Amino acid sequence: MSVHISCCQLTAFNWTVWISLVNILKMSNPEKPKASTTPHIVKEELIAAGKWVKLEKTTYVDPAGNVRTWETAKRTTRQANTEADGVGIIALLKRTLHKDCVVMVKQFRPPLGCHSLEFPAGLIDEGETAEAAALRELKEETGYQGEVVGVTPVTCLDPGLSNCTTQIVLVNINGDEGENINPTQQLEFVEVVLLPLDEFQRNMDDLLKKEKIMVDAKVYIFAMGMVQAFFKPRELPVLKQ
Amino acid sequence: MEFEESGIGEECGVFGCVAAGEWPTQLEVAQVLTLGLVALQHRGQESAGIVLSNGASPPTYTAHKGMGLVSTAFPPEALMKLRYGNLGICHTRYSTTGISELQNCQPFVVDTLHGQIAVAHNGELVNAHALRKKVMRHGVGLSTSSDSELITQLLAFTPPMEELDAPDWVARIKNLMTETPTSYSLLVMYKDVIYAVRDPYGNRPLCIGQLVPISKLHSSGSGEEDTEGWVVSSESCSFQSIGAKYYREVLPGEIVQISKHGVKTLSVVPRPEGDLPAFCIFEYVYFARPDSIFEGQMVYTVRQRCGRQLAIEAPTDADVVSTVPESATPAALGYAQQSGLPYIEVLCKNRYVGRTFIQPNTRLRQLGVAKKFGALTDNFAGKRVVLIDDSIVRGNTIAPIIKLLKEAGATEVHIRVASPPIRFPCYMGINIPTKEELIANKPEFQDIAGHIGAASVQYLTVEGLVTAVQQGISSLQEKDKMISSSNKTSRRVGHCTACLTGKYPVELEW
Repeated sequence: MSVHISCCQLTAFNWTVWISLVNILKMSNPEKPKASTTPHIVKEELIAAGKWVKLEKTTYVDPAGNVRTWETAKRTTRQANTEADGVGIIALLKRTLHKDCVVMVKQFRPPLGCHSLEFPAGLIDEGETAEAAALRELKEETGYQGEVVGVTPVTCLDPGLSNCTTQIVLVNINGDEGENINPTQQLEFVEVVLLPLDEFQRNMDDLLKKEKIMVDAKVYIFAMGMVQAFFKPRELPVLKQ
Repeated sequence: MEFEESGIGEECGVFGCVAAGEWPTQLEVAQVLTLGLVALQHRGQESAGIVLSNGASPPTYTAHKGMGLVSTAFPPEALMKLRYGNLGICHTRYSTTGISELQNCQPFVVDTLHGQIAVAHNGELVNAHALRKKVMRHGVGLSTSSDSELITQLLAFTPPMEELDAPDWVARIKNLMTETPTSYSLLVMYKDVIYAVRDPYGNRPLCIGQLVPISKLHSSGSGEEDTEGWVVSSESCSFQSIGAKYYREVLPGEIVQISKHGVKTLSVVPRPEGDLPAFCIFEYVYFARPDSIFEGQMVYTVRQRCGRQLAIEAPTDADVVSTVPESATPAALGYAQQSGLPYIEVLCKNRYVGRTFIQPNTRLRQLGVAKKFGALTDNFAGKRVVLIDDSIVRGNTIAPIIKLLKEAGATEVHIRVASPPIRFPCYMGINIPTKEELIANKPEFQDIAGHIGAASVQYLTVEGLVTAVQQGISSLQEKDKMISSSNKTSRRVGHCTACLTGKYPVELEW
């Protein structure tokens, strides 16, 4: 339904009547809602807090202009001067005449109730840069001494649940150097897993067959990306049923 | 230098690698094999082949063979499909017939009763002709004219006491070794091991290296846990370029099993009573790379010692000593050191000029040599020059060089050869020209100096060469790593000098 009103007739109208008409049209034409507000947070109320994690009720305005609430989990550890909570490390162990291997860690994760396979990761300490945090965490969790070759912008981890952010830091490890040949790691419950990069997805699938382990999404997606890049440039990586 | 010019060559190089530790391995076995072959390129430039295995039962083999140098034969696309292997063997081949046939390229892969095997061979079977007849009489057809196929068929032959499901490779290899005494250095790949075999006379070389992390290569502190893999090669010069430590030689007659668990001697087949080993002495004189190690000594050192011996046997009244680049340089330096004459360079070599033996007639061949070298006139004009060469076979290549030097101002050119004259053919794999073509058998040999235009010509004596070679052998000191029963015969020292003396290590069948 459309109403044509000529310009000369508009001046004779009451302007408020015109607005009401427009609103009536909007309500009876719900297929074309007009975004009139940028979504934003109105208020955050603390519901519960532990030592490391807190739960908040977030009140916000949605794109349609309606006020809603969301349950948000947050870390209590975020530093004031850093943008990301933590870092994740994609570390490549490079040794002469050996295949490049991705360094991963396997550990028991209470929230899952089983072991996970993840990239080494950790929270950024006070006054630390993402790069420094990455090298430190890598050394602590795996014993390897690496060099940063790149870092992503701040990225979100699970935005429907929490505000946790991370920066993925790309690291190369010179495996020929003495300290990196038989590295000693400092955390006893973390097991280092090395898988060659060129058969990354297949190696992980083999591991999954043998052990009850849950692979972190970032790791598996990275593996699929490798498959696409190395061997199947025109096919999408096969998704398992 | 004439060996190089005439295309006389050591027929092949063999190389193998087994990854240690857990399989599938993180070691890039295909890369190790390729680099090993590149280091053995001097032993063969006609073609190269690789066979890689995943070591499973039954194994999956990936192979690639190509003509030309390793860099040409294995382009990056070929290496891509060779990525997955836990062990492998490879081979470079030297052109002997001039016919380039891809099917003659090694390693050979055949099916046996117990599964597939791959074989790489260096050497030539002395009784190949009779053996071919014997094999064919047993009903086996042969598709190539190569010895290596013959060897592979002999290995496929089931020994009498063997059980149905348990292959006895020691028995099979021993059977081969009784059928043919020499010459062969063999790599046999089966399932998850490589058998390294050297004929009882040890005519062709074979040695083992241990792959360790790069940083531990030069330290003495690497232990068993550092072993990343085992490699076996015709020459030890290949070890440095892949980060392997020289471990030991495969002894004459030895059958060694190389697996991910380590190196184990399975057997040592003795020679008939009284027979000495017969390691090809020309490996020392010419074929091997100077940085390779045989019998505990470096090849360069032996060549230098030959030069010294030559100076003792054949001193010269002259002003300067020089070399025909590059193979004669160690001998020339030895000669200079012993004689006290100053060592200078007189020839400049153009390494991009190919082997001149391809030219059809003698005159063109001589011109070809002239293009290959330039005279460094200022260094020797007005002087009497002693020129050391490592071999004179036909005499065609040295004569133009002498002419070049004299025209550039040398007052006298004396030739001293760091090896004895070759008079007899070789049946163990070196393609020496026929007896009639060898200059030592021609009447011109009586006045060889006049024939080639030199002021004087003298060769090293056979006794001198043998002394220079055997002086440094520390075989008695060579660490006896894995051999449990010390077989006295394998510790004795002996070299094949058949092409020099006519005394062959084994009786030849006619």
